[in-house]
Amino acid sequence: MKKLSFALALLAACTMLAGAAFAGKLDDIKKNGVLVAGVKDSQPPFGYVDEQSKQIVGFEIDVCKYLADKLGVKLEIKPVTSATRIPMLTQGSVDIVAATMTHKIEREAEIDFSITYFPAEQKLLVKKGGGIKTVADLAGKKVGSAKGSTSEKNIQAAQPKCQVISYDTYPMAFLALKQGKVDAVTTDAPILAGLKATDEKPEMWEVTGDFIADEPYGLGLPENDSDYRDFVNASLMEMWRSGEYAKIYDKWFGPKSKCPLELKWKMELWP
Amino acid sequence: MKYNFDWSIVLTGEYHQWLIDGLWLTLKISALSIILATALGTLVAVLRMTKVKALEWFSLAFTEFFRNTPLLVQIYFWYFGSYVLLPEAVNKWLYKQDFEFAAGVIALTVYTAAFIAEEIRAGIFAIPKNQLEASRATGLSFLQAYRYVILPQAFRIIIPPLISQFLNLIKNSSLVMTIGVMDLTYMARQIESHTFRGFEAFTAATLIYLVISLIVSLSINLYNKHFLRQIKY
Repeated sequence: MKKLSFALALLAACTMLAGAAFAGKLDDIKKNGVLVAGVKDSQPPFGYVDEQSKQIVGFEIDVCKYLADKLGVKLEIKPVTSATRIPMLTQGSVDIVAATMTHKIEREAEIDFSITYFPAEQKLLVKKGGGIKTVADLAGKKVGSAKGSTSEKNIQAAQPKCQVISYDTYPMAFLALKQGKVDAVTTDAPILAGLKATDEKPEMWEVTGDFIADEPYGLGLPENDSDYRDFVNASLMEMWRSGEYAKIYDKWFGPKSKCPLELKWKMELWP
Repeated sequence: MKYNFDWSIVLTGEYHQWLIDGLWLTLKISALSIILATALGTLVAVLRMTKVKALEWFSLAFTEFFRNTPLLVQIYFWYFGSYVLLPEAVNKWLYKQDFEFAAGVIALTVYTAAFIAEEIRAGIFAIPKNQLEASRATGLSFLQAYRYVILPQAFRIIIPPLISQFLNLIKNSSLVMTIGVMDLTYMARQIESHTFRGFEAFTAATLIYLVISLIVSLSINLYNKHFLRQIKY
């Protein structure tokens, strides 16, 4: 009997310890008074360094700002890259990742995702009047992309007859397109629109192409913390319902912005 | 977090084939660049000895310029910079070919040639000066004297440093993946992004580089030991 009660006490102690160790991210953030967000710093208009203020700004920063305001904490920005964003989240250097990350089932093994907050779709960036309109036109042509991206795999599957040349970054792929080394650059449409806007003569280029693949962006969250995930999902939906989302979208992708992109999508809203 | 190794992906199937393709390209670009770099390096070294001021200056400038700028920058220069220098028609024709591979070969060749030229010059200096004078006195021309007397001996002396340059070239060839040449490192990275199995892919690539380098190094040393010794002057 004594043994049993000792075992029970031990068990209780363990559960308490474990409980302490797994105190949700939400509590941590509130306690520290700061939400640390991992964002891109060279991917206009999602996250980039503003020329005048020298601060990282962008669509995804505004989304994180909304979440931080909702929690009543400050927002801290940490730049991440496609390669570092998942490790930084799993080791806890950032609380949330808003970095043009496609929600993929493979990635679920390491982290969790919020609902989709941006409906990207893979497209082609080509020279206007260059004769390439669809994926079918790419047969026998060279297509530029960036290493390790989903678009690189998708284009090879969609058009096995094209030669994919993978550069280190998208600006390099765009430079190759300008010099005529590749006939098209392929990745998510808003990134292409951002690249196009960086050129001195944006009207020379166009984003085109039929359907290649969907690239739904989700916010990266730590694995197995459902309270935190519930909060983020609920906040995103509230952001949509209150019209705040439309306001932020209009600021970065509206007709008056540098890369206009029509909003033809509706966020998944739970009743 | 525990990582479960799965070596089967690099040992069989599609990804194994990718590594083999990458290996083949690495061997091709390295072999071609080694041959060209040795030839160009020898030429640059001999130019430096001609006692013709213009040629000497050219050789010096070539060596110092290409030896003292980063290879990665040179690769970008040949690949992206050539666009500005060459006429439109030539560019159009070039881009229809495998220009990525060509730019990679040029960059590796020129960069390594600068180092090889210095090694060869050191080798030439190690041969007593009166050998050149003696061979000129027997009626050989300047080029003949170098071709038949000086260079064969110089090469023998510089074989160890020359191998180092070859090995460097093989390893440097991994940088050409930045301009989209699908070499061994490129393929390892592709496998990582497709399967999230970076440890396996890069371990396999590392071992393959190690084996290539060891084979090159061993075979030249064996050649040196068994054949060159028998040559009598």
